[in-house]
Amino acid sequence: MSSGGSGGAGGQPATHSLAFRVMRLCRPTLHVDNSPLKFDPCDLLFGEDLFDDPIAASHLPRLLGGQSNASALDPADLSYRGRFLLQQPTDSLGLPGLLVLPQAFGAIYLGETFCSYISINNSSNFEVRDVVIKAEIQTERQRLLLLDTSKSPVESIRAGGRYDFIVEHDVKELGAHTLVCTALYTDGDNERKYLPQFFKFMVSNPLSVRTKVRNVKDTTFLEACIENHTKSDLYMDQVEFEPAQYWSATVLRAEYHSSEPSSLLSETFKEPILIKSGGGIYNYLYQLKFSSPDNAQFKAESSKILGKLQITWRTNLGEPGRLQTQHILGNPVTRKDIELHAVEMPSVIMLEKSFLVGLNLINLVDRVLGPFQVWVSESGSPDEKAVVINGLQTMTLGEVQPHSSLKFQLSLIAVKHGIQKISGITVYDTVEKKTYESLFEMEIYVDLE
Amino acid sequence: MDAPESESPPVSSSPITSISASAVDDPLSSPYASLNSHCHDLSALQDLACRGAWRTILDKVARSRSLSLLSRPHEHLIYLTFNVLALVKLRRFADAQQEFETLDDDLGSKQYLFESFPDQYPNQKPGSMVPFALRWLHAHLPFTLGDRQLSLDRLYVLLHFIRDTKLSRNRDSVTEISIDLWKKRETFVINSIVSHHLTLKEFKVCLYLLKSETGKTEDPFMVSKLGYVQMQYGDLEGAKRSFELVEKMVEKSEGEDANLNLKNLVGRNKALIYLVGKDYVSAVREYEECMERDASDFVAINNKALCLMYLRDLSDSIKVLESALERVPTVALNETLVVNLCSMYELAYVNHADIKKTLSTWIARVAPDDFDTSCTRI
Repeated sequence: MSSGGSGGAGGQPATHSLAFRVMRLCRPTLHVDNSPLKFDPCDLLFGEDLFDDPIAASHLPRLLGGQSNASALDPADLSYRGRFLLQQPTDSLGLPGLLVLPQAFGAIYLGETFCSYISINNSSNFEVRDVVIKAEIQTERQRLLLLDTSKSPVESIRAGGRYDFIVEHDVKELGAHTLVCTALYTDGDNERKYLPQFFKFMVSNPLSVRTKVRNVKDTTFLEACIENHTKSDLYMDQVEFEPAQYWSATVLRAEYHSSEPSSLLSETFKEPILIKSGGGIYNYLYQLKFSSPDNAQFKAESSKILGKLQITWRTNLGEPGRLQTQHILGNPVTRKDIELHAVEMPSVIMLEKSFLVGLNLINLVDRVLGPFQVWVSESGSPDEKAVVINGLQTMTLGEVQPHSSLKFQLSLIAVKHGIQKISGITVYDTVEKKTYESLFEMEIYVDLE
Repeated sequence: MDAPESESPPVSSSPITSISASAVDDPLSSPYASLNSHCHDLSALQDLACRGAWRTILDKVARSRSLSLLSRPHEHLIYLTFNVLALVKLRRFADAQQEFETLDDDLGSKQYLFESFPDQYPNQKPGSMVPFALRWLHAHLPFTLGDRQLSLDRLYVLLHFIRDTKLSRNRDSVTEISIDLWKKRETFVINSIVSHHLTLKEFKVCLYLLKSETGKTEDPFMVSKLGYVQMQYGDLEGAKRSFELVEKMVEKSEGEDANLNLKNLVGRNKALIYLVGKDYVSAVREYEECMERDASDFVAINNKALCLMYLRDLSDSIKVLESALERVPTVALNETLVVNLCSMYELAYVNHADIKKTLSTWIARVAPDDFDTSCTRI
């Protein structure tokens, strides 16, 4: 799959002594042979049950005497028995450990390293001198010089000779790329000639990462879904979440309990994380915690950026690729001003018998809040509420000092039995005119008489 | 004349059978005296197969059939097996399928059992005369004709056949050798299955099957293959652990006297680790040590050439492969090696068609019948 690329622009008479040959040099692959067609002679020369017979079995070694299940093939042996007889039982796997050069240019993805073997051949009958070679990558945005021999030009390339080099480039842009190879040389007629050759390739996106952020109380959970858009399976070598300042992250993994007994083997061969080609996905879950100096305002601003995901994947023979996501943003955290907790609950709640619930209202901010009004709001459903306030429907509470709390009791009555919910408790700040709903919910069991 | 003492007595030990057994055991008249007494001209067939003369085998089978040289049922089956194998080796898959159509669909049918021909096999223990390779070829053929799924199904059925009917037998009723052979056949079938899954890139299935295989047999080669699979999908750390395990196994079992093959296995594995770490110089050194120990280690030769290429030394990489073809052609003449050499030619020469033609001509003179010449991409 080596190529000589398209020639230079302009009306140049194409009589060049030199020509570029280019081959993409990604890592080789291990050859897999689906039909090694190698056999144990016993499977061909004799019926499969012949050696059930003890007499036949006793003769087997002699019958096979001429064979060498010889492991090392004698080079003096001019037969092709290695293509016909199994040397090792594992030969039938067809995975001899033979490496194969890349046979096609293949696809190139963002985050990979483009590596190429470049050979300049002198196919003329004359020596060529003072060769200045340049190789660069051109994209829409920039030109990157990969090789430049101007400071020390190649003195000569003999007739039929070659000059080789290998270039590497970390692919950081999407879209069209051109590898431009140029040679400036003095040919056999003592003319200074210029040979440009262009090799085009496209770079596409190998993965997409979708994130979901959920807040549960004080913990933020980040779910990252990685989808593979490439043509090969990707081995996830390292996927790490790098949290932003003041954030800390722990990855949450399911405990994998293998049904097989643990052994040296099962520890050596852990289950790999492999994302299937062409749309396969894998999910990662991170638990994030925010901890910073106490300034609440500071908290609100800096908590928006959660961090970045660093992904390193590998394909055949460990060919690596690396990408980093953009900043992952958290949900705008509306830090709560107040919290409502139950501190006292009766052990038994009877249907249509009032009961007292002890509640604690906590002021989380630096200023005085309140006075408050507390009521149980109507639920939106056509059904009657299961638990209602017994007595005055609205309770008035006084002010609460900064970072301090206020205990109070609500008298409630359950009008339905069974498992019911205390919900809809609404707290209204009469000064700031702010309504706090859904601060508190609890399930209770309502007994019949 | 004694019956072999080490074997357990035949199951049906009537006096008549014992006497006949003794008579049969005369080395001069025993059907097991030699390959040829077992089956007409069998050693010639074997020899042709070793030389890769598959077209000659086809002729020989055709001639033997037309001249009615095969007198006993099992001889027909053996010749048929060689015929099918030759056709498959020559990639004449449709013709191989036709051969199969001359057989009963069920290879377990009565006509393929010794006991169905008491006149021909008066003393033979009952059982199947079908060469096992024929069963395997029957499973393999659909894949060659484009139906991989059917082949996989048949291979799994074959695996269950081996496990349920052959390996589960009472150890007292069969010989050690027979059990041993069936265990090898079980491994053979599992390996074929893994090979298919590997081509389909179903790596996790491969790992699962290989893991259970390595659990059964302490085979350093098998553990190495596991390492190759891990390397193929990119788990370098996993591969490294596998190769370390191989090294431990080899040290433990044979120590310094480990035979050539094992030493080279360990060496080649080390080289692969250097290679994926881009330390091509060390990889070359390991491969050269392998080649010094065993000049016909064509895996080391091929891989060394590739390392040289990654070291920007295209000329030497070509030299390594060309010299191997000259020195040890019967070992080095391998389709993958030729593919690599041709890739190198295409890179090294603007007019590579000429040099590939030269190679192709040489191959035509030297190669066995089953060599796939499409690898030169001419």
